[in-house]
Parts: sequence; C-alpha cells; structure tokens
Amino acid sequence: MNFIAAGIIMFAAVIGAGFGMCYATSKAVDAAARQPEAASKIQTILLLGCALAESTAIYAFVVSLIMATGG
Amino acid sequence: MDKKYVIAAAVGAVALAACLVGYIYTARKIPPDAPKKKRRPKKLWFMGLVISAWFLVGSLITGFSGKTGRLAIEFEMFSERVELFGFSIAKTTVTGAGVLIVLILLLAALRIFGISKFRMENPGYLQTALETAVDFIGNFVKNATGAFTMKNLPPFMLSIAIYMFGCALSELFGLRAPTSDLTFTLALGLCTFALLNIYGIKKNGFLGRLKNMGGAVPAMRPLMIPLKAVSDISVPVSLACRLYGNMMGGLLVMDLLKGVLGGYASGLPAIAGLWFNLIHPGIQIYIFVMLSLTFINEAMELEETPKKPKKQKIKN
Repeated sequence: MNFIAAGIIMFAAVIGAGFGMCYATSKAVDAAARQPEAASKIQTILLLGCALAESTAIYAFVVSLIMATGG
Repeated sequence: MDKKYVIAAAVGAVALAACLVGYIYTARKIPPDAPKKKRRPKKLWFMGLVISAWFLVGSLITGFSGKTGRLAIEFEMFSERVELFGFSIAKTTVTGAGVLIVLILLLAALRIFGISKFRMENPGYLQTALETAVDFIGNFVKNATGAFTMKNLPPFMLSIAIYMFGCALSELFGLRAPTSDLTFTLALGLCTFALLNIYGIKKNGFLGRLKNMGGAVPAMRPLMIPLKAVSDISVPVSLACRLYGNMMGGLLVMDLLKGVLGGYASGLPAIAGLWFNLIHPGIQIYIFVMLSLTFINEAMELEETPKKPKKQKIKN
C-alpha cells in the first residue's frame, strides 16, 4: 500500500515539475534567440528557475522515499 | 561454476577472437589516410571487440562469484551507525570527517609546496588556475550580493563548494556520500540561514532587518513580518531537502544499475558514475551556492518607503 502511495505522489509531482521546467526552458530559448548577447545572464536565471521548479519534484521524491520505507 | 556461464564465457571468448581477427584484417586493408566513410568497418570491428570482451569478463565474474543480476536494494533513509569512542555516530559523519581531513592535508600541501613558489611574473599553470577560481568566485558573489559581503563570503562559499565536491567524490570509493544524508545537508542549510540573518542585521541593524522583513509599506508590517519569518525559516529546509533529494536520487540510480547488472557490471557503472558522481553534484553545488547568495541578498535589501507625491504646479 505504501508503494502505491509513493507512486501516486511521484506521478503527480513529476508532471508539474516537468511542465514547469519545459515552459521555463522554452521561454529562455526564445529570449536567447532574440538577444544572443544576453545568453549568459539568461542561463543564470534559467538555472535558478529550473532549480526552484525542480525542487517540488524533489520534495515529492523525499516524501515518497519516507513513505516507501515505512518511516 | 554454473554450466550456463561456462557456455556464455566460451561464446564470449569465441566472439572476442573473431572480432580481433576481423579488426586486424580490416585495419591492415584500410590505408591510414582513407576518408571517414571507408573507416567504418574498422570501427564496427572495434565495437564488437569491446562488447565481446565485456561479455566475457561479465560471464566469468558472474560464474565465479555467483552474483546474478537480481534487484536487492537495501535502502535506509538515514545511514547506519557505528560505535566510536563510546558514542553512536552515523557512518556518513565519519566519512565526512575523513573527507575533511584529506582535503585539509591536500590544501596544506598546496599551501606549503605550491603557493610558496608563486611569482608575480611568469605564472605557472597552477597559479593561473587558482587565480581564475578565486577571481570567479569573487565576481560571482559580487554580482549576486554586492560589494558589502566581499570580504568574508567568497572564501566561505568556495570552501563549502570544495567540501561538497569532495563528499561527492567519496562515493566513487564505495562509501555512502555524506551529501546523501539529510543531517549533513540540513547543517549546510542552517549555515546559510545563520549567514542570512547575520548579514541582514550587520548591514541594516536590527530594526533595519525588521523593516526588510516587513516590506515597504509601514501599515502592512505587523501582518508581513510573521509571514516573512515563516518563509525565512523554510529556507534551510528547502535547501537541505533539495540537495538531499538530488544526491539520494543519484545514489539510488547507481545502486539500481549495479543491482540489475549483477556480475556484468564491469565498466558500465563507471560510465554512468561520470554523470551521477561528477557532473550532477557539480550542477547541484552551483545551484546551492547561487540560491544561498540569492537568499542572503534578499535579506540585505532595503526597500525605500514610497513618499506621497508632491503636487506640482503645471506651467502653462
């Protein structure tokens, strides 16, 4: 039962995080193509945003680890 | 030795011999200055050579050790404990202390034998590399938080980055990396939390820090300060969970790979480990340092209270 719960948690979280990261990356590519000289600044902002978007999935991963090990 | 693996090893040996013969035969035939398209058979034979060698070694190891590819992962949220000097200490703490000792010895050796020979003119490779690293972290911190923190923050951030990278490398020796333990990452997050408050109070004073937490509008401050306090307390938790989750994910994927392959895991985990033990921790360290600097900068910013716009006389 715990494993099913962990699977559902990861299923829900990964969809959101994946969609968020994909959206951020597509916008960053747009911006870099429009203004190639600002690419390094955009990359920094993109990494920050991706880290924040990714963190939701990471929290879900930690929670699902706790649930799967029966903690 | 199981009969199955004897047959597998024999097949591997035959394939190896065939590929060796084919490789030598085609390599002699193709002139060294041939165009790329004509070199293809040589490459194909070489790939066959590598794959059959891997198969032979894998089946020999599986046959002798009896470790078949089976999934048996023993995962624990926290690390095992050992008895040391009468205390019960987590294994990752011992590993972290070991990494620290090794790093201190290496850096002391660098200080004694390397830096004492540095000269202003004709800098060598080591000197240029070190100066570039110090310049890079200095500019990085300056861009993120301004000139106020320049004295103390860059050395701290660089040493934290080096320590975390050393911890990630300790996983290559078969130990559980300290960064994949929640207590270690929480300690680092609490360091950032302390720095955030220290720099916020040092720059603006205690009342200035409260103003920074309350926001620009004075009437909203009693409402905003508790909210901002909660979001500040969540900083170390989010930093710790992020680092822990990423490192734990890498560790679990490596364990899965070894578990699935069993005896055939010769060479392949090393290639995967290049990503999961070198590049991925590097990215995570970069993100950790950048997020810490962002949070510290946020705690130091002071928005000015908007003044009521004065009425201006319009001249016709």
